[in-house]
Amino acid sequence: MKNSLKLVLAVVLCVFLAGVAGFADEYILGIGFTIFMYIALAQSWVVLSGLTGYISLGHVVFFGSGAYVFILIWGLVPVWLGVFCSGIVVGLVSLIVGYPVLRVRGPYFVILSFGLAELVKNLVLINEARMYVSMRPVFGAPALYQLYTAMLLLAIIATGLTYWIRRSRFGAGLRSIREDEEAAETIGVPVAKLKLLAFAISGVIPAMVGAIFIMRSGIFQSGDAFTPIVSFTMVTMAIIGGSDDAPGPFLGVVFLVLLQELLWVNWPEVYMIILGILLLGFVLFIPNGIYGWLSEKYFGNKKNVT
Amino acid sequence: MLLEINDIHKKFGGLVALQGINFSVGYGETLGLMGANGAGKTTLFSLIAGHQEPTLGSIIFEGQKINRMRPDQISALGIARTYQIVRPFRGLSVLENVTTGALYGAHKIRSIKNASKFSREILEDVELKDRAEDLAGSLTLAGFKRLELAKALATGPKIILLDEVMAGLTPREVNEAISIIETCKRKYNLTVVVIEHVMKALMRMCERIVVLHHGEMIAEGTPGQISEDSVVIKAYLGEQN
Repeated sequence: MKNSLKLVLAVVLCVFLAGVAGFADEYILGIGFTIFMYIALAQSWVVLSGLTGYISLGHVVFFGSGAYVFILIWGLVPVWLGVFCSGIVVGLVSLIVGYPVLRVRGPYFVILSFGLAELVKNLVLINEARMYVSMRPVFGAPALYQLYTAMLLLAIIATGLTYWIRRSRFGAGLRSIREDEEAAETIGVPVAKLKLLAFAISGVIPAMVGAIFIMRSGIFQSGDAFTPIVSFTMVTMAIIGGSDDAPGPFLGVVFLVLLQELLWVNWPEVYMIILGILLLGFVLFIPNGIYGWLSEKYFGNKKNVT
Repeated sequence: MLLEINDIHKKFGGLVALQGINFSVGYGETLGLMGANGAGKTTLFSLIAGHQEPTLGSIIFEGQKINRMRPDQISALGIARTYQIVRPFRGLSVLENVTTGALYGAHKIRSIKNASKFSREILEDVELKDRAEDLAGSLTLAGFKRLELAKALATGPKIILLDEVMAGLTPREVNEAISIIETCKRKYNLTVVVIEHVMKALMRMCERIVVLHHGEMIAEGTPGQISEDSVVIKAYLGEQN
């Protein structure tokens, strides 16, 4: 009963948000687009980093690579097929890249993930320079309301995926890796396989998000497509919201994007400062994030992330 | 024989941790491993469970050589181990800890619902039922030791390697632990290999004891034989003038 009520509410919300695309103005659609984008990104981040504890500080690598694959096949295939392909290609490549990368744990993985994003950025840059391209414009992209709807769809899929994985056998394995990888292996969890799967799954949606994003910005430039700010923002959102379950990133994103909109108008220079203070405060005092804090306080659930 | 240890040697660089270890464990048996600190008992468990590879020799489980397999593959065959220094999943609930074992291991229960049902039953066996929903990190030492046992049991093992599950417990807790282990052994049809410093427990539980000393096997026999073995007494108490 309680769960079916939640489901009905979620469906109503999604239908409403999709309906908004029909009549809302550019500003609202733009904010919606940003919120959905970061929900999709933060949820995907949680599949790898929230559940396995392998904190990725370079998740933009999937976003940028997706965008790059997409721009390379732009015009050759139908737009939405291109978006889909960029997700698949990035997912497959991360199955190969993830194998060596995931052998490194803890802070070393954090650094490596960041380095990987920078490495790929520079490889793309070099490749582009060799072809005498400094930026690639995207002509004839779909209208904003279409991009908005596509991003909404990705946000829904990403949220559903995180929700489902968190409650699955696969998710139980991932969470045991986060808690103690060796002990997990001792009770039969095939840790290497599960980590690799999580890594790839965690990359597919960000790649598609990246593809849709460059249709909105109208341009592909490797410096922008691989900017670490996107990585940092998704980590911050997931941590502030709570990174152990699907409602967390959702709350974190809505909270931060709205805060950003409010501050951006009045005190743009204060935004980064407040963001930093918030992140520090949450890591120190509310490590389970808004969702973890709420569920402990009001539902008596002792959920824990760290 | 269920488990055969054949001429196992293990070296860490120049340090010889184990040499020439030979024994086997039969179905349904309870075997004790005895020896002072540094005798190589835990190393032997690590070799069996696949966390390390022996330098020389082979480990045979149900006729299959296992000493190049990964720990999760060994767990899938039905070998479970507990850790002397407990390793609970602190951030998960007690029930989730055990359920993870039931979902993987040798059991590989596919549905979360069935796995947690089975896990609740195990928590009842180890007398942790009341703490099922609590965070594992909130348990006491005795609780951690039982959780280790519960996680191992949940994987559906044929043989269970218990590494000092009674160390640091009060005499009363030791008695409870012994009866829990004996009950579980009967209920789940287990073979048990136990490392223990609590002599009373070892004598009471085991049918056979193997004594290690500085990486070598110095005696093997029934508890009665071991307690009168002159080599063992010499190793433990030194020589009488």
